[in-house]
Amino acid sequence: MAMKDIMRVKCLISSEIEGLLNQQIRKEAQSSSIYLAMASWCDRNGFDGSASYFFKQAEEERLHQLKFFKYILDMGGTAVSPEISGIKIEYNSFREVFEDALDQEVSVTQSIKNIAGRCHKEQDFVTMEFLNWFLKEQREEEYKARRALELFEVIGEEGTGRWQIDKHVGDIKYNSEA
Amino acid sequence: MQDIDTLFEDLKLAEVFTTSKGSVHQCDKENCWYIDFGGKVNRFDYRCLLKLKKAVYLIDIEALLLKSERSADIEIVFICACDHCYILDTLQIIAMKELLEGTFTMLKLNHIIHDCLYRLAV
Repeated sequence: MAMKDIMRVKCLISSEIEGLLNQQIRKEAQSSSIYLAMASWCDRNGFDGSASYFFKQAEEERLHQLKFFKYILDMGGTAVSPEISGIKIEYNSFREVFEDALDQEVSVTQSIKNIAGRCHKEQDFVTMEFLNWFLKEQREEEYKARRALELFEVIGEEGTGRWQIDKHVGDIKYNSEA
Repeated sequence: MQDIDTLFEDLKLAEVFTTSKGSVHQCDKENCWYIDFGGKVNRFDYRCLLKLKKAVYLIDIEALLLKSERSADIEIVFICACDHCYILDTLQIIAMKELLEGTFTMLKLNHIIHDCLYRLAV
C-alpha cells in the first residue's frame, strides 16, 4: 500500500512553479510601480497624454499581478505579497521613458516564457493553460511599447514633435485577431 | 530517542525518511507528519511542515560556521502559528536540514509514483 500523496491533495502546483509564479507577482508589481513613476514624470513635464497612457498601464500591470496572486491561492499554494523598492523617479528625456517601458515589457515576456518552459518540463498543463492568456497579452504589450517608441522616429522630436507624440500615444491600438 | 512506532501504534505511520539523527513519519489518516528530532516528537500539518522547511532552509549555515564572536551557538527555529519551536545548535541545524531535504525528496518521489501509476490506473 503506497503512502498517500498529501502534498498533491493540498496543492495542484509544485513548489518550483509556485516559486516562479511568486517571482512573477513581484515582477508585475514592480512593472506597475515603474509605470506609475513614468506617469508622474510625464505629468510633471507637461506630457499629459503620456501620463494618462502610463496610468492605464500601471493599472493593467496591477491586474496582472492579482491574476497570478489568485491563481496561486486557488491552486492551494501560498501567494506572497511582494516588497517593491528602488523605483526610478527621474528620467533624462521624454524618449528615455518609452525606451525603459519597452525594456520592461521585454523582460516581462522573457520571465513568462521562463515559467512556460518550466511548465513543459514538469508537464504542468494546467498552469501552462493559465499562462497562455499572459503570452497573448505580452504580444499586445510589446507591440504598444514598440509602436510608441517608433513615434519618435516617425514624427521626430524637433519643433512641436514631442507635443505631437504625446498627443498620439493614447491612440495606439493592437487589433490583431491572430 | 523515542520509538515512534510504539508511541502511535494505532495511527499506522509510514516512514518517509530517517537519518541517524532523526526521522519523519507520515500519517495518512490525519494528513500530517510526525518529526522525531532532538529528543522530541512533534506533529506537523501541511502548512506547518512547509513553514518549517522554509525556516530551516533560510538559515545561513556557512555564516554560522564562520562566526567568530563569543556568542551562543544556537538558533531558534520559530514557526508562526505552529505549536512547536526548535532550539538548535549548528550541528543540529545541519542534521535537521539533511532530514528535511531527504523528506521532501521522498515526498516528491512519492508524488511522481502517484502521478505515473495510480492516476492513470484509476
